[in-house]
Amino acid sequence: MMTGMVSQNAFVSRFGAVLFLIGKLIRFSFFMFFLLVITSRTQAIQGYTLWQVILFYLTFNLIDSVAQFFLREVYRFRNYIVSGDFDYLLTKPVPVLFRLLFGGSDVLDIPVILLSAGFIFVALSNIGSLAVGNLAIYLLLLINGFMIAVSFHILVLAIGVLTTEVDNTLWLFRDLTQMGRFPIDIYQNPLRSIITFIIPVGVMVTFPAKAAMGLLSFNAILISLFVGAIFLYVSIRFWKFSLKSYSSASS
Amino acid sequence: MKKYYLVARNTWDEVLTYRASFVMWRVRSVIQVLTIYFLWQVVVPPGKALLGYTQPLIATYILGTLLLESIVLSSRSYIVGSEINNGNLMNFLLRPINYFAYWFSRDLGDKAMNICFSIAELTIIFLILRPSLFIQTDIFYLSFFIVSIILSIFLYFFINFLLGLIGFWSPEIWAPRFIFITLLGFFAGSLFPLDILPDTIYNIVKFLPFSYLMFFPIKIYLGQLSFMEIISGLMISAFWVFAIYGLVKIVWMKGLRSYTAYGK
Amino acid sequence: MIISVSHLSKNFQVHQKDPGLVGSVKSLFARKYETVKAVDDISFNIEEGELIGFIGPNGAGKTTTLKCLSGLLYPTSGKISVMDFNPYNRKPEFLRQISLVMGQKNQLWWDLPATDTFLLNKEIYGVEDKKYNEIVGELTKLLDVKDILKIPVKKLSLGQRMKMELMASLIHNPKVLFLDEPTIGLDVLMQKKLREFIREYNIRFKATVILTSHYMQDVEQLCKRVIIINFGKIIFDGLLNSLVEKYSPHKRIKVMLAEYADPKQVYKLGKISKFEYPELILDVPNKKANSTAAAILKNFQVEDITIEDPQIEDVIAKVYAENKR
Repeated sequence: MMTGMVSQNAFVSRFGAVLFLIGKLIRFSFFMFFLLVITSRTQAIQGYTLWQVILFYLTFNLIDSVAQFFLREVYRFRNYIVSGDFDYLLTKPVPVLFRLLFGGSDVLDIPVILLSAGFIFVALSNIGSLAVGNLAIYLLLLINGFMIAVSFHILVLAIGVLTTEVDNTLWLFRDLTQMGRFPIDIYQNPLRSIITFIIPVGVMVTFPAKAAMGLLSFNAILISLFVGAIFLYVSIRFWKFSLKSYSSASS
Repeated sequence: MKKYYLVARNTWDEVLTYRASFVMWRVRSVIQVLTIYFLWQVVVPPGKALLGYTQPLIATYILGTLLLESIVLSSRSYIVGSEINNGNLMNFLLRPINYFAYWFSRDLGDKAMNICFSIAELTIIFLILRPSLFIQTDIFYLSFFIVSIILSIFLYFFINFLLGLIGFWSPEIWAPRFIFITLLGFFAGSLFPLDILPDTIYNIVKFLPFSYLMFFPIKIYLGQLSFMEIISGLMISAFWVFAIYGLVKIVWMKGLRSYTAYGK
Repeated sequence: MIISVSHLSKNFQVHQKDPGLVGSVKSLFARKYETVKAVDDISFNIEEGELIGFIGPNGAGKTTTLKCLSGLLYPTSGKISVMDFNPYNRKPEFLRQISLVMGQKNQLWWDLPATDTFLLNKEIYGVEDKKYNEIVGELTKLLDVKDILKIPVKKLSLGQRMKMELMASLIHNPKVLFLDEPTIGLDVLMQKKLREFIREYNIRFKATVILTSHYMQDVEQLCKRVIIINFGKIIFDGLLNSLVEKYSPHKRIKVMLAEYADPKQVYKLGKISKFEYPELILDVPNKKANSTAAAILKNFQVEDITIEDPQIEDVIAKVYAENKR
C-alpha cells in the first residue's frame, strides 16, 4: 500500500516536472521568437544584429539554467531554516555551504542547458566569432559569471540565515538577472552602472557575450574577473558572519 | 452582501500582515516592467515610430501594463487548487456562502491593495524618468476601456478558477498553472504590443482569450482601434468570459460530485 | 427525533494499481477499482438535545457517517433526515442550523485574529448584532479566552486554536453540532477543558451534539449514549452503563494483605485472577462486589483494598474482539 502511494506520487511529480520542462521550452522558444520579431522590425537593437541580440539572451539563459541546475537546493533552504533541519546540517561533517549550494540538482534542467549551449554555438558561428581566442575568453567569463551567480546564492542563503527570509530575495535576484536577457547597454545611467558593477548582472551575462563578439577591451576583462573575485569574497565573508550571529543567537 | 465585503477586507488585512513580502513582490513587478520599458525606449527612439508606435505611445503601453497587471492579474484564487487538494473546501460547502463569490471577493481585496501600490509606483516612475505619456481624453475610448477591463477581470477570474479545479482530480496543480503563466507572459501583451507580430500570428492570437487580458484594453485606451474593432473585440472577449464560465460550472459540478462521493 | 438514519450505506471506489512505474502507466489506461464499504447498512435515531459518542477504531466509518449526516458525502443507499432535511441538498436553511468541526481542518483566517473570522461568520449566517455579542460573550467566558481573541491565529497554540475553531463554529448557535475528533493532539489538561465546555454547551444551549473520538475519556465523561462502529457496522448502540454491564459484568478487587493468608481460605472467595502474596486480585460479578469485599475485610488482615470499575478501553477492546469480521 505504502510503496504504491510513493511510486504514484513520484509519478505524479515526475509528470509535473515534465510539464514544467515543457513550460520552460515554450518560454525559451517564444522569447527567441520575440527577439526575432523586434529585430526584424528594427534591423538592430542598440546597434546589435539579430544573432548578437540572441547571443546575449542565450548567454543569460545558459548561466541562469546552469545556476538553477546546480543550486536548486537554495530554493528549499527556507524549509531547512524554518523546520530546524539547518541545525542538523550544521552538525554534519560536510561543509554546510557546499551542501546547501550543491545538495540537489534536477536532471530536467539539462535539456534547457543543452539547448542553450547548442544555440550559442549556432549564434557564434553566425556572428563569425568562432576564433579560439574569443571562445576561450567567452568560456572564462562564463565561468566568472557562474561564480557571480553562486555568490548571489550565497548572499541569499546568508540573508536567509539572518532573517529566515529566502524566497523573496531569491526571486528579487532572479528578476534582476532577468535584466541581463538584453544587452545592458539598453539601460540608461545610473541604472546601467548599478547593474554592471554593484549588482554585477552586466559582468555576469553581458560581458561574456560581448567578449565573444570581440567587443570587450582587455581592461574590461580584467575588471570582470576582479569584480567576480570581490563578489565571491564578500559573499563568503557575509556567509561566515551570518553563521556566527546565528550560532550566537541560538545558544 | 456585507459578508463578501468582509471577505475582501480580511484579504486586504491579510496582505498587510505580510507587508515585507508584499513590498518585495511589488518591487519585482516594477523591475520586470522597467526592464521591458527600457528595451522599448531603445527600440523606438524619440521622434521615430515603429508600426504606429511612437515613443510616448509605447511608453504608455508598457507602463500601462503595470497598472493593468494589478487590476486584472492580481488574485488570490490561485489557492483554490490547494484548498480542494487539502480538503479545506469542506468548510465552505457546509456554510451558507457562495464559493465563487467568496473567491471573487478575495481577489477584489487583493486587487485593491495592488492597485494602490501600482498607482504609487507609477507616480514615482513618472517623477524620476519623466517619460512623455499619452493621455486619453476621449470619453468614448475611456468608457470602452473600462468595459473591456471589467470583462478581462472576469475572464481572468474564471480561467484562474478553472486551473484550480484540476485539484479535484490531481495533486499536480502548479505545473499546468506554470504553463498558463508562460503563455500569458507572451500573449497577454506585457512584453510587447501583440500587433507587432506577423499578421498571420496576430490574427490567430486575436481569437485566443489571452490578448483580452491586457493588450486589448490598453489598445482601446491608446485610441488605436476603430469602433468596429472595439465592438468585435468586446464580443470575442465576452464570448470567452461566458464560455469559460460555463466550463467552470460544468467542471465544478463534476468535481463536486466526485468530491462528495469520495470525500477527502 | 432530530436525526434519523435508516439503512445508510456508503461505498467508495478505491482505485487499485500495481506497484512501480509500470503499474502507474498501466493504471492510466485500465483502472481497476475495488469497492470498499465504509459504512454498511446502519440505522439509528437521535433525539433533540442528546450528546452522543461515536466510537470505533481508525477507518471504522465514524467520519464517513458524520460526513453523510452533515451533507458532505452522498450516501450510496439509505435515508438520512436531519431536522427533516436531506443533508446532501445542503440547503442554506439547513446549513444555518448545523456545524461540523474537524480536529484537523481549520476555517480560521490564519494571519488574522479569530475575531475577524467570527465577524465574517456572523455575516455569513446572518446573526444579529445583539445575539452575536451575547453568544460571543458567553462563549468567551465558558472557554476563558478573553485574552487571545485579538491575537493572530498563527500565533496561538494548538489548544487555543481549537477553542477558537469551536467558537467560530458556534457563532450561529447551531441546533446540531458534529464534532470529529475535537480533542485530537491536545494535551490532557486542554482535553479536559474542552470536554467540560462541550458538556456545558450541550446543556446550556440545548444543542444536539454528535461526537467522534478515539479517546475513550471523551466518550466516557461526556456521553450517556454511545454508538460503536466497526467495519462500517454498528455493533453497539445504547447507554454507556449497559455497555459495561453487557461486556464487562465484573469488577476488580485489589487487596494488599497485611499478613500471610492461607491459600485455601483465599480460593473460597471466588475467581482469583492473581495471588502473589501480598497482592491479591479478584474479578467478581458487579452485584457481588460489595459482599465479597466485606468478606475479605472480615476474614483477612488487610492493609489496603480497592474496587475498580472496568476500564472503558478494556470494555471496548472486548467489544471489538467479540465482533471481528
